[in-house]
Amino acid sequence: MQSSSKLRGLLVITLLPALLLYSFFVIIPIFWSSYYGFFEWSGLGDATFIGFQNYLEVVQSPIFWRSFKNNLIIVGASVLGQVPIALGLALLLRKSNMFQRFVRSAVFLPMVISTVVVGLIWGYIFDPELGVINAVLRSVGLESWTRAWLADPEVNMYAVAVPIIWNYIGPYLIIFIAAIQNIPGEIEEAALLDGATGWRKLVYIILPNMWGTIKVVIILCISGSLKAFDQVFVMTGGGPAQSTEILATYMYNNTFLVYRYGFGSAISTMIIILSLILILISQVLMRRKD
Amino acid sequence: MKKLLAMMFVLLLALAACGGDGDNEEAASGDSEKVKLSIWHNFAGDDLRARSVRDMIAQFQEDNPEIEVDEQAIPVDGYRQRISTVAAADELPDIFLTYAGSFTDEFHKSDLIQPITPLFDDNPEWKDSFLKGALDPYNYDGELYSAPVAMSATSFMYYNKQLFEENNVEVPKTWDEFISVIDTFNSKGITPLAMGNKAPWVAQSTTFGAIADRVTGTEWFMNAVNEDGASFTDPVFIDALNHFKELVEHDAYPEGANSMDNTQAEQYFAQGKAAMMINGSWTISSLSASVSEDVLKNIGITTVPAIEDGKGAGNTITGGPGGGYLLSSKTEGAAKDAALDLIYTLSNEEAQNTIAESNSMVMYDLELDQETVNPLFYEAFNLVKSAEFAPVYDLHLTSAGGEAVNNGLQEIMLGGDVEKVAQDIEKAQAANK
Repeated sequence: MQSSSKLRGLLVITLLPALLLYSFFVIIPIFWSSYYGFFEWSGLGDATFIGFQNYLEVVQSPIFWRSFKNNLIIVGASVLGQVPIALGLALLLRKSNMFQRFVRSAVFLPMVISTVVVGLIWGYIFDPELGVINAVLRSVGLESWTRAWLADPEVNMYAVAVPIIWNYIGPYLIIFIAAIQNIPGEIEEAALLDGATGWRKLVYIILPNMWGTIKVVIILCISGSLKAFDQVFVMTGGGPAQSTEILATYMYNNTFLVYRYGFGSAISTMIIILSLILILISQVLMRRKD
Repeated sequence: MKKLLAMMFVLLLALAACGGDGDNEEAASGDSEKVKLSIWHNFAGDDLRARSVRDMIAQFQEDNPEIEVDEQAIPVDGYRQRISTVAAADELPDIFLTYAGSFTDEFHKSDLIQPITPLFDDNPEWKDSFLKGALDPYNYDGELYSAPVAMSATSFMYYNKQLFEENNVEVPKTWDEFISVIDTFNSKGITPLAMGNKAPWVAQSTTFGAIADRVTGTEWFMNAVNEDGASFTDPVFIDALNHFKELVEHDAYPEGANSMDNTQAEQYFAQGKAAMMINGSWTISSLSASVSEDVLKNIGITTVPAIEDGKGAGNTITGGPGGGYLLSSKTEGAAKDAALDLIYTLSNEEAQNTIAESNSMVMYDLELDQETVNPLFYEAFNLVKSAEFAPVYDLHLTSAGGEAVNNGLQEIMLGGDVEKVAQDIEKAQAANK
């Protein structure tokens, strides 16, 4: 008993600095910001207490729900785009010869480029006059397919999702490769003896052994996409006419362009609540496999 | 357990010690003789005007060794945010550049700035040389808070002389001529008007403000801003929006104008891909820095065409006095004297002349030397002296109202409903007054 309480004391002391820092910089600001949500404040002068008005306005704002829908498009694109692509690449690139190492670094490369640069590069790729995409379409005779990719509200949300997928495949690829390499050799050998090869081996041996990792990656994907901001902000700023507005740009624009700090804080709080709900749903949906 | 408590206590103390000091600069400066002066501005770029302003400050520092000038040049895009953030934290610098209009109103309303009227009393000649109306935006209850060092003229019509000649078209003077010129260029496969409306203030500030003033007249707009007997859902404003919609429907703008930025649009025009472009005076400096002499000579400049059946004047240019330096209300004593000195150095006749010679508009009566300034700038400066000013929309609307106009114009460019846009603007302006 004596030693276990000592151990606990040690644990508390060693955890304390991290916990304090985390509380100061993450947990307390979250509550602070939800508190600011109760005020009408332009950033200058006095703040006036207005109760739940900001929160009500957020919930009733069609733009907020459009932003949420746009965020869900990014979540969908990430989960259905990043995860399968990363998984497929991981299965192809699990060995380590020169070529595979090269492809691996190539896929990982976008991850080390600043997201702002990614936004700028893709802004040029999508450019209706000078962009690569329209140039290629024109040169193969698909003139009618060319579009103003970022300006046309019918396609621009899907267009901005592409760079986000491209940007973040790298880390998931690495996680998946590690997971595949972690599958014990004995299991694979046993499977081989039982005649499990190809698809069979993938479905019955590799995927079940990686399920935990896949779950983690999906959660990371969802939370990452809800935080999406930089690429969209650089490429479109949420426009035109707020058609590519996502939750984070909506919050940013209201806080720092329109100077409604209280309203912006209320949006932030709603983002946190919605994110928690989404993560919870995904957890429940994936629980059955355990 | 006791040990544990003791350790926690020590940790907390350490943290408290970290957070304690930091803001005691003013108290600590007693023993040094130097007067400390902080100044923030947005002349961070490499253009001529930015460099000459930074040179003026450097010169001031050299001439006044007893003053320690702490200068921060913040890029234009982030400037408003930075200033608003430090204002919210009550940590404004002694002197900072402001924009005329609601931005300055906020500082005045919150008592964050103090008047610099003594400067004007001491230099009456300087005061009288400002152009008509130049000091109005900084006049609160008879006290002057700043002297403009810039003029914002946001709606010139630039045109490509060669394209007009080759296609036998006259530069349009009226709205009907304007629409027919647009159709003519479209039929020849030339984009009529270049515009880069990715940052959505562009359509509002350069084009719509001028059109709307011609349709509604200035008085109606000022009443609507104050919600005083006029509203943005009035038929006259719908009519103004419809004029803008007419441009869109006649395919005046290139595809993707909403995803092109202003600089790209300027280049698009300079490369001869578009016949005209409605843009602000800043275009003169950016074009003269980036294109060849021959290209510049081929560019003509005039006002936006008149709208004959409108209520407003036909030859106005949206704009007015631009930014100036404000003095923080917390600056007192020797620092205040030094600050007034610096503000004067940056806004006096010599400074205004230096700024004008770097191809930037000023609100000061100067006889420009045609040899030293760029021909396009010379033409524009004289155009401005003869034209009347009309209000720039987002300088008078609340930030929420301005944002609603910006987004609404993008919506119209995407085929949105004019009446709904008008309602959104009215709602945003009325709610956040």
